[in-house]
Amino acid sequence: MEHRYAPMPPMRSVPSAPLVGPFAERLLALDLPDLPASRRDDAIGFTVRRIDGLPSVMHIGVLLIAAVFRCILIAPRSDGFVRFVARAPLPVVGEYVRLIRSLGYAYIWETWPDTRPTGAAA
Amino acid sequence: MTGGLAAPAAALDAEILVIGSGAGGATTAALLAEAGRDVLVVEEGPWIDQGTVRPFSLDQMDRQYRSGGVTVALGLPSIAYTEGRCAGGGTEINSGLYFRPPVEVIERWRDRHRIRDLDPDEIGAIADEIERTLNVGLVPGKATPASEILRRGAATLRWRHSEIPRWMQYPPGGDAVTGARQSMTRTYLPRAFSAGARMVTDCRVDHLVLRDGVARGATVTFGDGSHGTIRCRHVFVCGGAIQTPALLQRSRIRGRIGRTLAVHPTVKLSARFADEVNVPDDVPVHQVKEFAPSLSFGGSASHSGLVALALLDQWPTFADAVTQWRRIAIYYAAITSEGRGWVRAVPGLRDPLVTYRLTGRDRQLLQSGLARLALLMLEAGAEEVYPSFRGAPVVRNRADLATMQDAFAVSKASVMTVHLCSSVPMGELGERSGADSFGRVHGTRNVYVNDASLLPDAPGVNPQATVMAFAVRNARRFIEESQ
Repeated sequence: MEHRYAPMPPMRSVPSAPLVGPFAERLLALDLPDLPASRRDDAIGFTVRRIDGLPSVMHIGVLLIAAVFRCILIAPRSDGFVRFVARAPLPVVGEYVRLIRSLGYAYIWETWPDTRPTGAAA
Repeated sequence: MTGGLAAPAAALDAEILVIGSGAGGATTAALLAEAGRDVLVVEEGPWIDQGTVRPFSLDQMDRQYRSGGVTVALGLPSIAYTEGRCAGGGTEINSGLYFRPPVEVIERWRDRHRIRDLDPDEIGAIADEIERTLNVGLVPGKATPASEILRRGAATLRWRHSEIPRWMQYPPGGDAVTGARQSMTRTYLPRAFSAGARMVTDCRVDHLVLRDGVARGATVTFGDGSHGTIRCRHVFVCGGAIQTPALLQRSRIRGRIGRTLAVHPTVKLSARFADEVNVPDDVPVHQVKEFAPSLSFGGSASHSGLVALALLDQWPTFADAVTQWRRIAIYYAAITSEGRGWVRAVPGLRDPLVTYRLTGRDRQLLQSGLARLALLMLEAGAEEVYPSFRGAPVVRNRADLATMQDAFAVSKASVMTVHLCSSVPMGELGERSGADSFGRVHGTRNVYVNDASLLPDAPGVNPQATVMAFAVRNARRFIEESQ
């Protein structure tokens, strides 16, 4: 009997890094301006890995939002957009921002517990 | 006969296939193997020896949690939840706190859900056995500072509280943080192996192969992406309250499957004290039960990364506190929810869609729960309290509590849960039950559920002991009836 349920997830083949990475970098740079670049890169790498492993439905939703964000970030003067979504409690889109922040902050403060609120190394 | 970990193979055979190795699956496998049955356990995650991963760390989430711990039941608000995905399942990653199955809950389930031959005394006797096997007891000596805070605050308010026993083994002269958890990889799985059970890890069951309500086996995918089949005569599905209904749905089993997910939603706060209270790798053992079962207070894992996460909702106001994380611990208010959720397998996708809807009463309870928890912290000597919701004020005294309550809305809070159950409820209510009184799935002749999915609703306490007690009961009935 043919089953409709794929044994392996089709979305796993879509990598998150090109879509999620640029926004995560701009968000963390805005939130934590003194975070050393190498630490920011590590945090973004962790964030992207976690997003790659999200459950299927969440993964699809996150990639859809990330794709829209990626398009907007290509435009000139997109810093204003990043500042806006970083502060405004928007429905749905705000959850994406929160996810990126949660993963990044959890990684940064678990890996370097004495990081200052600005991101500066202690 | 000696069992143990077995190599994956394109074709496997067993009399009984047990899917999942957590509190339900490991217990089921041990009982059946000890009764002389040929048992094969398959587990989607890896085998990781207890004690080799730092508890509650991101590394543990990577290796032992499903999806790295980032799993959400969608809703307004969405509720974050976690599932174990490793040998031993959730027992490898949870707090190790033990609650006997409450007699009043067992009686309520028996009466309301018409669970046949459900005897609270029998469940109590099984709980005695489980407590011996898991070495359930109190911590030696004094509890951690973060735990003492709960005790002290409750004592000042004259609220009912107690130290919750844990299933831990402590070395001679050990203290509260030196225990080795007696999880399934230390207890029931070795028992199952000694009795001849085999286990294949990194093996996901894609669906059961059924004909006319009889399961003939299962198709599986191994960690390397290769596929295989398992032939068997009986199946016990023990993948937990999310994965179990999803597998049954993928296998085209209809009925009351995945429509009644129940959880204990929690809201959190962080509290800063004058002294260092943070114990990164452990959780408090005291809980406050003054308003139980509808509302309970306890402590969470609180390492620095989790403190940052707890402060995140109001970072502009709370950020400076993160530098003082050693003086901060995280606490939660958990409620017994009247809401319900859905688990739906989605064609073409690996993971199910999970949704949950809180009721108005749930929202009010979460609001009053957070306010009472903040009060508890103040009475325990907190200098500052940081509630985890967007727009929250810093709470420094009782006057701030009113401000906090005014600002609170569940939709602004980080709601989460670690207790998931009731997605295939047992009982004899016809279409309102997913399985019969001993876990056999309606509409099938040899497919059984034996995990948290069976519990008719969320019991109001940590459900692991209840899950295990029901698993023992149901496995024994199966042995009696199938011999």
